[in-house]
Amino acid sequence: MIAHRTHVPQGPIQPGLTNEQLATLLGERFALTRDASDRWDLTLVCKAEQLREVVKYLRDEPTLSFAMLLDVVGVDYLAYPGHRSERFAVLYPMKSLAFRHRLVLKVMVDEEACVVPSLCEFYKSVEWAEREAWDQYGIVFAGHPNLKRLLNHHEFVGHPLRKDYPCQKRQKLSMNDPMIDQLEARLRSLGYTILERGETSVGQAITRPSAVPSALPKAGGKP
Amino acid sequence: MTYQNVPAPVAPEINLGDSFVTTRVDAVVNWGRRNSLWPFPFGTACCAIEFMGIVSSVFDVSRFGAELVRFSPRQADLLIIAGTVTYKQAPVLRRIYEQMCEPRWVISAGACASSGGFYDCYCTVPGIDEIIPVDIYIAGCPPRPEAFLESIVQLQKKIDKESLVEQRTVGI
Repeated sequence: MIAHRTHVPQGPIQPGLTNEQLATLLGERFALTRDASDRWDLTLVCKAEQLREVVKYLRDEPTLSFAMLLDVVGVDYLAYPGHRSERFAVLYPMKSLAFRHRLVLKVMVDEEACVVPSLCEFYKSVEWAEREAWDQYGIVFAGHPNLKRLLNHHEFVGHPLRKDYPCQKRQKLSMNDPMIDQLEARLRSLGYTILERGETSVGQAITRPSAVPSALPKAGGKP
Repeated sequence: MTYQNVPAPVAPEINLGDSFVTTRVDAVVNWGRRNSLWPFPFGTACCAIEFMGIVSSVFDVSRFGAELVRFSPRQADLLIIAGTVTYKQAPVLRRIYEQMCEPRWVISAGACASSGGFYDCYCTVPGIDEIIPVDIYIAGCPPRPEAFLESIVQLQKKIDKESLVEQRTVGI
């Protein structure tokens, strides 16, 4: 789905810039360096502090017009051969709909803080992608409006795609997430006002009947 | 009908001729149950396509009386799990099973439902018998429609051995 119709090219696709031109341009303007491990395409290493500034420039500059952020990819470099710097990385593959160029922004993420700025205000599509990356890798996206788990269930502890997660460790879910927050957001977007919250029926627990999920809104809470 | 004057030692049922049959209640009830299974398909993956195969005309599960597919657990007595079940789905499956009335039977179709299949990972249930009791397991990835039909025949044989007066589910 294309959020901004104005970015859709009206005529034939323009050739745009080559990888070398893009690397030179962004290297001079933001001091981005090219990642040598990407031998075929263009991957530029970017600091977390300047990420929002770079992405805003890439999206809004008419000669670049990167209108599409394809994905948010987490990488865990734990026990990666020859890796010396930060443990995690987040990759942002970007594409221009008007020109034939694309690039990947790479942000190295420190294990201690494990935080990168969220890009939700620039691209609506990254909202779920950032939720997924947080769910699987535990990388916090500062400024995300609703950073909750996307793929794993809400009683899951840990982040399964981290290399130190024992991949066969299974975690049972006792009851489903009633998704009240999503329902309320949808109702608000349709113009409804939430006046009162009642009891939430979540069914019977499977293994731990006493377990109450923390995501449940309290009955009689603030409207 | 005129009554004969029968001497006392002879049973009076002799007057009824061949207008009745005698049998056991279990036999009659089991005959009805096994030949009118109403399946609920819990299809989550490619095994559900094979289930569609046996319901449609080529393999035609109505030859075994199980063609009336219900999408409400209240109306079904045969739960067919066809596909991979994740831990996120497990409460849903458990709830559907609980919503079915007794007597109810469960067929676990294919490798994923029976054992987790090749999804040996953090998110997949290693066999749905961790969640609900299972009557028949079908091997295959996905199983052939013939294997599906065989499982229904096996289930019919199993139903035949059950008794109305015994409690079916010991505890789940």
